[in-house]
Amino acid sequence: MAMQFSDTTFLACLVTSILPILSFGLIMIFTRENPKLSLAISLTASTIPLILAWGLLYKYWGIQEPLVYNLRWLYSDIVKIPFGFLLDPTSLLMLTIVATVSWLVQVYSIGYMGGDPGFGRFYAFLSLFAFSMLTLSISSGLLQLYICWELVGLASYLLIGFWYEKFSASEAGKKAFVVTRFGDVGFFMGLAFLTIYYGNLEIQQVNSAAVAQAMPAWLITTAALLIFCGVMGKSAQFPIHVWLPDAMEGPTPVSALLHSATMVAAGVYLIARIYPFFSASPEAMTVALAIGTITLLLSSTIGMVASDIKQVWAYSTVSQLGFMIMGLAAGSFFAGYYHLTTHAAFKALLFLCSGVFIHHFGTNDFFIMAANGARKLKIPMVTITIAALALAGIFPLAGFFSKEGILGALAHLDNKIWLFAGLFGAFLTAYYSFRVIFVMLFPREPIFQIAAAHSHAEEAHGSHGHGHGHEHEEEHGVPWVMNLPLLILAFFTLTLGFLQGALEQFLTGHAGHHEISIPLLVSAVGAALAGIGLAWLDWGAKNAKCVGFLSRVPALENFFIQKWYMDHFWRWFLNTFIYGLFSKWFTYNDRRVVDGGVDAVAFSTVGSGRYLSRYQTALLQVNLLFMVLVMAGVGLYLVMGR
Amino acid sequence: MKAVALFLPELYFLLMALVLFFCSLRRQTEPSKDFRLFLAMSAGGILVGALSLFQQGSLFFASYQVDLFSQVFKLALAGGVFLVALICHRLPGVEDRFHAEFYLFLTTCTVGMMMLVSAVELLTIYISLELASYSLYILIPMRQGDGIDVEAGVKYLFIGAVSSCFMLFGLSYLFGATHSTYLVDILPKMPALLASPVGLLGLILSLAGFFFKLSLFPIHFWAPDVYQGGANQLVAYIATASKVAAVAILLRFAALGSSYGYSFAQILVFLSIVSMTLGNLVAIIQKDFKRMLAYSSIAHAGYILMGVLTLSESGYTSVIYYAVAYLIMNFTCFMVLSEVADDGRDLQIAEFAGLYHRSPLLALALMMGLFSLAGVPPSIGFTGKLLIFTSAMNQGYFWLVLIGAVNGTISLYYYLRVVYAAYFMDPGDLPKVVPSPAIRWTTYALILIIIGFGVFPMHVVDLARTAVKFVLYT
Repeated sequence: MAMQFSDTTFLACLVTSILPILSFGLIMIFTRENPKLSLAISLTASTIPLILAWGLLYKYWGIQEPLVYNLRWLYSDIVKIPFGFLLDPTSLLMLTIVATVSWLVQVYSIGYMGGDPGFGRFYAFLSLFAFSMLTLSISSGLLQLYICWELVGLASYLLIGFWYEKFSASEAGKKAFVVTRFGDVGFFMGLAFLTIYYGNLEIQQVNSAAVAQAMPAWLITTAALLIFCGVMGKSAQFPIHVWLPDAMEGPTPVSALLHSATMVAAGVYLIARIYPFFSASPEAMTVALAIGTITLLLSSTIGMVASDIKQVWAYSTVSQLGFMIMGLAAGSFFAGYYHLTTHAAFKALLFLCSGVFIHHFGTNDFFIMAANGARKLKIPMVTITIAALALAGIFPLAGFFSKEGILGALAHLDNKIWLFAGLFGAFLTAYYSFRVIFVMLFPREPIFQIAAAHSHAEEAHGSHGHGHGHEHEEEHGVPWVMNLPLLILAFFTLTLGFLQGALEQFLTGHAGHHEISIPLLVSAVGAALAGIGLAWLDWGAKNAKCVGFLSRVPALENFFIQKWYMDHFWRWFLNTFIYGLFSKWFTYNDRRVVDGGVDAVAFSTVGSGRYLSRYQTALLQVNLLFMVLVMAGVGLYLVMGR
Repeated sequence: MKAVALFLPELYFLLMALVLFFCSLRRQTEPSKDFRLFLAMSAGGILVGALSLFQQGSLFFASYQVDLFSQVFKLALAGGVFLVALICHRLPGVEDRFHAEFYLFLTTCTVGMMMLVSAVELLTIYISLELASYSLYILIPMRQGDGIDVEAGVKYLFIGAVSSCFMLFGLSYLFGATHSTYLVDILPKMPALLASPVGLLGLILSLAGFFFKLSLFPIHFWAPDVYQGGANQLVAYIATASKVAAVAILLRFAALGSSYGYSFAQILVFLSIVSMTLGNLVAIIQKDFKRMLAYSSIAHAGYILMGVLTLSESGYTSVIYYAVAYLIMNFTCFMVLSEVADDGRDLQIAEFAGLYHRSPLLALALMMGLFSLAGVPPSIGFTGKLLIFTSAMNQGYFWLVLIGAVNGTISLYYYLRVVYAAYFMDPGDLPKVVPSPAIRWTTYALILIIIGFGVFPMHVVDLARTAVKFVLYT
């Protein structure tokens, strides 16, 4: 290790990873009550990693051999667990994405969170998140990755429940934590399998061909599926996606940071990180493909009926994550990872734009926003439209290229059903995103009625949405700290698409030769355009009725509004099995066996003390007699027992 | 001149006793003057003790050995006296006109103990021990009160006398069997001697005198009554300085049994287990703080014996460390006690209620002292216990260590009860306690030592290890 301290690359990694945690500690311990100072510390601790990350990406653009800095934490004949940094194209790109998005979100939050009583705390949590996520992306070993993975979960819990005085927020935080932990149990068991049967948690070793020789195929599949459980939790895949929509209770910048661009991408990143390992098990890949597909369709359909703007984007995130996993599972490492990259840009943009609207109108309901004149906010309206176009996959925006890549990968599969599912998903995506855009951009007459009804319902419900006191600040402009990140992200959304070749060269080491498949191209763009068109007919056109086409099938619409009854299912599952079965019996065991045992020990200890003390306060004569007897006994024992 | 230098600490304290003697002859009582004199002179005692720390030699026809081992203990004793002097600024437990005598006998007791740690000849040991004991016989009933002091004094006298009988009986066996009263002469003959009942009985009975001082089972009956009946400051002295001297001579003497091996150690194992279990269990139900500490001292005697019975260098080292640690942490508790009980009364545990609100500093000190006694890291008591348990473990006494650990857990219960009272109970209308600046600074220093030497014990351990070499291999 000592020699590595003179290595600038190593130092850069170290600083990148350590600065944010220092900032977290400093703010939490010393400067929490001082917003300005906290902000300064946190911004410094995110700007330096940003610069370093871009510097590293620039320096190692085109790197062939991965750079590894390992601290041998636990090394023996049978177990090798390192801590350290691994720099290769995969991690460098993720590092840059994470550093960039978290920096932008920190800047954006200056405006969004300004005046919040927990301002310092908020930045401390953001720093904690940045630390975990940055370290996660350059981890050299799976255990280190797992630790950061859990820290990310912790940061997410803290940030979702940031307005903890709001009951729904603290509930959502708990839900997110518990549900993701549920998946992480699988992840941990998968790691345990790997450790026991392979014994080496260095990422590069896990990715090597040696795994296939050390472990039989069924074991690899088991381990891969278990690790995939963690991915499902973190990346909100069916059937444990239920936490992500609730996670929107957190401040909007948090939604943008964690629940769109970075944290949820951690699951996808994990697959990409140990992609060769996953590839070694075709069965696991098929399962992942199926899960991804179900997730894509399920969440797109729910997105079609939601009226909370953040809910729409949340379900959209879930579906896009499913899409990435489809791409990876279909065998195209690049397509999935590339979509992760572009998605990070345009989804963060969507959330941050929505944040501006929410901040401005004090509601999460986009019908009400539309009715109150959302289109007058020029910059956010333009950028949100760009982002929605990217999400729908319209040329020449970033989303078009990455979606094309995934669909291309799906087209290569023998079973064309995946391709059709993907195309259908693209269609739905275009529909629900432009439903939002058209409603906000061209509010027709019926919209106002809907908005009135919604705001009426909101008032009946009490405060909803934003909930931290900005509702009554009328008509303040949008501060530049909030506009700047929008513009930067919009820039990336516009340009990332053209970097496809370069990125592919960087990530996979060889430029992809794209045989442009015209039918595929036509059908993909067609699906997107059909979605947009349908949205226009339903919501945008002059005489649109402003009811979704789904309303013709009320049963189906209700099914979607109830979110496929997934929340009901889990509630039933919890009540029946967890509370009804396990909790009940464990509680019983706790109360009767454990508590009873402890009580018995305690009572008998005190009781014996009481008993013994009776012999301590006797008369002096008795004391002396006792002394003599004991000494005599001791003497006798020594003499006899010799 | 060399002889004077070797005997300097004892001489100093003898001189101090003489000065105090003249003070006690004064017609008018001037307690504050007596106190200042005593404090100043005991501070000088530390200086003298430190100056003569590295003296080495023998005196009085080789019956008196001055080496690092004895000097370390003398320094600790001088320190103990100084600490006790610090809390004598208010001495309401003793009538004003007796204050000078109170100090005088504390001093003579200290002289006795200093001689005890240096004595290497049976009669010298016995006489030193009695010098220390007789001073205490007088000191205990000196408390003004409702007669419990007299009961305690009588009990102490009788039990002391009986244990002295045991000891004399044992010593006479040793002398008769070896025809010598010098430990140096006895030591080589012990292996052969221990094969016969004479040697065994002689050794174990001789130890009885030290068990008495240490309040080890079965000669522990005096402790609760004396702790409760004696003046708080005096009990602080008995519980700290007096224990340290007992540990020293026990170490010197137990080394005689090292050749006998398992069976001898087994007796000590038995005594150790019974002592700590009994002490801890009975301490649980005590309501009087000093009585509780008395039982806790019985338990600690058990821990100390655990280190002694390993009869190994590491065990002895850990015992020395533990003895010093015990002095510090027990004194901390007694200092808080004597500060809170400003009229010299006995303190119920309930009377610590809300001490945190009445005097945060003393509450903290009490907590540190008690946690240290209970062996909670990173206190000095934890390190001491760890060292003792480790050395016992290395000698193969697994079960003993296990029982010791269980006992440590039991002891937490009653220590924590006091901490609970101090921190979580409502103070009600109990008065505030305002420690004087001197006490405040002492408290800071004690807390610092408890944590500091708990985390960085190496210097003390190294010193103790060097000192041990003089006992085990002479």
